Amino acid sequence: MNDMRAGQIYLIVALGLMAISYMKEKQRTREALKATFKILYTIMPVLIFVFVLMGLIQAYVSRETIASILGQKNGALGIIYAELIGSIALFLPPAVFPFGGYLHNNGASYGSIAGFVFTAILIGVTTLPLEFKLFGKRFTIARNIFTFVLAFFIALLMEEILR
Amino acid sequence: MIVAKTVYSTFFEVLDIIVAVSIFIGLFQVWVKPQTIVKLLGKGSGIKGFILVCTFPILMGGSLFTVFPLLKALKEKGARTGAIASFITAWGGKAPLLPLETQFLGWPFALLRLSLVVLFAFVMGILMDWVVEKPVEANVNKR
Repeated sequence: MNDMRAGQIYLIVALGLMAISYMKEKQRTREALKATFKILYTIMPVLIFVFVLMGLIQAYVSRETIASILGQKNGALGIIYAELIGSIALFLPPAVFPFGGYLHNNGASYGSIAGFVFTAILIGVTTLPLEFKLFGKRFTIARNIFTFVLAFFIALLMEEILR
Repeated sequence: MIVAKTVYSTFFEVLDIIVAVSIFIGLFQVWVKPQTIVKLLGKGSGIKGFILVCTFPILMGGSLFTVFPLLKALKEKGARTGAIASFITAWGGKAPLLPLETQFLGWPFALLRLSLVVLFAFVMGILMDWVVEKPVEANVNKR
């Protein structure tokens, strides 16, 4: 019950900010509204896709399997697996968190989730071509490798702290 | 079917947060123009610039696709490689999505991750500068 209230509080705050923005500059706020809808429009399909994915996993993959690959017992290896999954995940960031939370509730360790979150957001298999073009091969390869490695250590740290 | 049930319940659990977050990001996009950000961060050089580049992007929403054009502008302005890498990494913190993160992963996780992201970005910047700038430095010296 408390969870629903938190969401409603955020919504109220957001609407409040919107109202303030409207009072300051009507035209800009109209643009903001357009931007908001565009974002929603982009996010919704991915979110639904991820929810379906979660539902499928719920139905066909047992908790034990998830726990054995991504759980605490698998420790560091679990983090690496999680990072690999995150790297190829085609999610948008907002979909990463529900999915991560879901995995956690089904046995994945905090460290694995952390690894997943980092790589899902920061390493995009789909964006690689664009990154190549904009910043060059060296930058892209270096950044992605560093991100993967650093994320591993940070995930490890988080696992230790949060366990 | 379990699948439908999960989708249905998760969707509504998330709806108000998603709307709220979309509003936050929409407002941000419209009130803080990319040019402002580019001007604010400058080259990301110097201690102050570097700190800015490791912390400010956390507040931005959007996906990698939307962030790349901004980064391109930064680079054209002369930003160091490390600064750009730090920017991307810090942006990975995605503070606007906090409501979502705390809902599904809890406050401890979210706050811990956010604070570590700054460290992450910092280290990334240093590493990237070290690895990628070197050949460029050699050219600059020749000049």
